[in-house]
Amino acid sequence: MWDKLTKSLAMFSSAVVTGTDAEGYPFSVRLTPRIDLARQVLHVELPNHVPIQPGPAGLLCHSHDEGLWNLKSFIVRGRLEHEANGWMFHPRQFIPGAGFGGLPGFMRWIMSCRRAARQYLEKRGLPRPTIPWKAIGALRAESKRSISP
Amino acid sequence: MTTIDLPPEIETVFRGFRTCEFSTLARDGTPVTWPTVARFQPEPAQFLITTSIGQAQKVFHIRRNPRVALLYSDPTASGLMSPPHVLVQGDAVAPDEIVTSVDAPEDYRVYLRDNIFRRQPASEAMSSNAVMRKLFDWYYMRLLILVTPRAILWWPAGDFAQAAHRLEVNHVG
Repeated sequence: MWDKLTKSLAMFSSAVVTGTDAEGYPFSVRLTPRIDLARQVLHVELPNHVPIQPGPAGLLCHSHDEGLWNLKSFIVRGRLEHEANGWMFHPRQFIPGAGFGGLPGFMRWIMSCRRAARQYLEKRGLPRPTIPWKAIGALRAESKRSISP
Repeated sequence: MTTIDLPPEIETVFRGFRTCEFSTLARDGTPVTWPTVARFQPEPAQFLITTSIGQAQKVFHIRRNPRVALLYSDPTASGLMSPPHVLVQGDAVAPDEIVTSVDAPEDYRVYLRDNIFRRQPASEAMSSNAVMRKLFDWYYMRLLILVTPRAILWWPAGDFAQAAHRLEVNHVG
């Protein structure tokens, strides 16, 4: 897990770190974590005014291009602790997202989404819905014509 | 009804950024954050997010705990230079209704047309032929998520070292 994390983190210039505030709402900041190889933790410099509490936390790195494509992402579940030398993110689980694992990874992702969709429907006793492909095509054509904010 | 007197530079971020980082809370309280497309609707002030039933984990989280956050911190493709980074904290609802029609509700139609199809033209591949339609039909089985903001914080030029500006959101009626 640690090797995957450090290798993947090196592909991005910054990460989004999320903890929770005193009222239990998620609170995110973008920063550049520093890797502590010896302790296998990440130093994160949270400014004093950021109200994140020690506890469960997550880290996300992601990117896309100008066409919202070539997506790349991963997340890490872990904990944030405020220690003598600052805030530390203790990673627990690495979860690859888009753009990891090449074509086999992409095919696994499609199959897992298909399986999850089937289970969602089965659990509710619902038939597989019919997708209105013609209407989707028409809306795509409209998207190429119309301009709105 | 929720109203916001939003500074123009913040609304520009909501409209211009392609994605935000959307956080929900897992059963054990761990925030889980993924890049997501959100559409800001000014009246009433809400953010529309959608997800496929094949990727419904964030919906399951919301049904257990509605507290969520959206961070706008990646301006790629927005054309904005040094925009503020914006954090929205709020409460989400995710009804258990699968939407496949692209004609209604109207907000979803506009979301799909303007925020997905127009901005992500390569996604057309997912419906380009019979094989792709078979592989990706689950993508068009969508669940809608509506986020009502309670607080909006922002850092000019994305400088988190500064204290954030903060706007509390009024809930009327």
